[in-house]
Amino acid sequence: MKSGQAPDVASALVIPRPGKEIVLSCLLLLLLVAGWEVIVRVRGIPPLIVPAPTVVWESLVAHTRSGFLFTHLGVTLSEILLGFLAGCLFGIGLGIGVALSPLLGGVLHPYLIASQAMPKLALAPIFVMWFGFGILPKVLITALIAFFPLFENTVAGLNEVDRDALELFRALRATPWQTLRWLRLPNAVPFVVAGLKVAMVLSIVGAVVAEYVGANRGLGALIISSQGMMDTPLMFAVFVVLVLLGVVLYQAVVLLERACLAKRYRE
Amino acid sequence: MAARIEALNIVKTFETPSGPVQALRGVDLTARPGEFVTLVGESGCGKTTLLRILAGLLLPTQGEVRIDGTRLGGPSQEVGVVFQRPVLLPWRTALENVLLPAQVQRLPLADAAVEARNLLRTMGLGDFLDRFPRHLSGGMQQRVAMARALLLSPSILLMDEPFGALDAITREQMHLDLLTLWSARRPTILFVTHDIAEAVFLADRVVLLSPRPGTVAEVFEVPLPRPRLPDHRFSGDFAAICRAVKHAMQGNAEEGR
Repeated sequence: MKSGQAPDVASALVIPRPGKEIVLSCLLLLLLVAGWEVIVRVRGIPPLIVPAPTVVWESLVAHTRSGFLFTHLGVTLSEILLGFLAGCLFGIGLGIGVALSPLLGGVLHPYLIASQAMPKLALAPIFVMWFGFGILPKVLITALIAFFPLFENTVAGLNEVDRDALELFRALRATPWQTLRWLRLPNAVPFVVAGLKVAMVLSIVGAVVAEYVGANRGLGALIISSQGMMDTPLMFAVFVVLVLLGVVLYQAVVLLERACLAKRYRE
Repeated sequence: MAARIEALNIVKTFETPSGPVQALRGVDLTARPGEFVTLVGESGCGKTTLLRILAGLLLPTQGEVRIDGTRLGGPSQEVGVVFQRPVLLPWRTALENVLLPAQVQRLPLADAAVEARNLLRTMGLGDFLDRFPRHLSGGMQQRVAMARALLLSPSILLMDEPFGALDAITREQMHLDLLTLWSARRPTILFVTHDIAEAVFLADRVVLLSPRPGTVAEVFEVPLPRPRLPDHRFSGDFAAICRAVKHAMQGNAEEGR
């Protein structure tokens, strides 16, 4: 019996179970923060350049209590989620279209490559001119950024199908639609889910940086305005919020991935 | 149930960058309804190409395939195919894999599921209906593939070295199970292999293909009694037929040189 089971790659990538590592990780964080505090105090570095962790914490607490941070967090979160969702849907949809129609794929290919070579953030100024300072231009930028990993992975997942399985479907006289539904789409699921992770990370960057260019609300806008106000502790407080936001959103996609791949795709 | 399948003067030429290559040169072959025919030959003699043509998956350059006298134009519901690899969908359970042909033909799934369960139970997989392929051994996976090929009760079953990747003990068990299924349902079977003993043990007739380009070299009747039993492998008649096939195969190989 040749049941040589493939090594479980997935389990090598998941975050280790709470144990020695997590304790050491926390200790390392404490050490770094304490070292930062000590250096800032001993050297007398002004808060405008590098605020001490305690100062950042005070700013964070104050702005959280007043609800000020939440307002901006809400705006950025909406931009990320709307842009991510739109980009994913469009990417998956066009991916299916291209995989089904080689003609469509051939015609669109140069445009897609060109659109990828173009840094989407470079479009931010013109989007501000066209769509104003609201969330729409940021959602569009984020969607453009999230689009490509989903598009690319969907096409790969639909096309990289076991050739023998295609032959089987042919022998069963399956229609193209049946082959899509029962072979290509299920085959694409792990690819698409991997694309979601990449798209989520890029979406966060896209939304925040797009806000730099022209926005009156959002965490990116807050970073720019804290720079203008020379309120560096606030800027650092926003960094903390961004880190937390990124971790939460990424973990959400990881959980979604586990749910999608559970049972049918995993050991 | 069973049908006659005929290959009439099948020629297949492949276009390659270095010019056309003839894979099959005028193959004539008939399997009578309910007959078990094995095709043996060295690798590269066009066995798989011939089987794909018989399955309607590949069009011959010349000649035609007929099933009960009707010309075959493409894959047919009358023909079940078992490939070298099990080719199971990894995200489907054993039962769901067997049901695929019924889904494709838009047949009522409840009825098909009854038949699928029966088939899997007959093959000793009754406890593995809801297992995914990665949790099944190679032999079990190939059984699931056989159940899938038999689900719609095809009148002809084409098998392309289905047990080639299995170990000797599993393979012998698969032979017995296949013969049991065949005698219960009596499809016409065309079975490709390069293992002479396997070919002789299973078949009513062994068709020897000679290579480059592939053509029928010789046909051997196998008069061993049915049902075939493991002990038949040690009989003098069995050895004699194997020897005859082997000698014919070597003779062809020397002629080819």
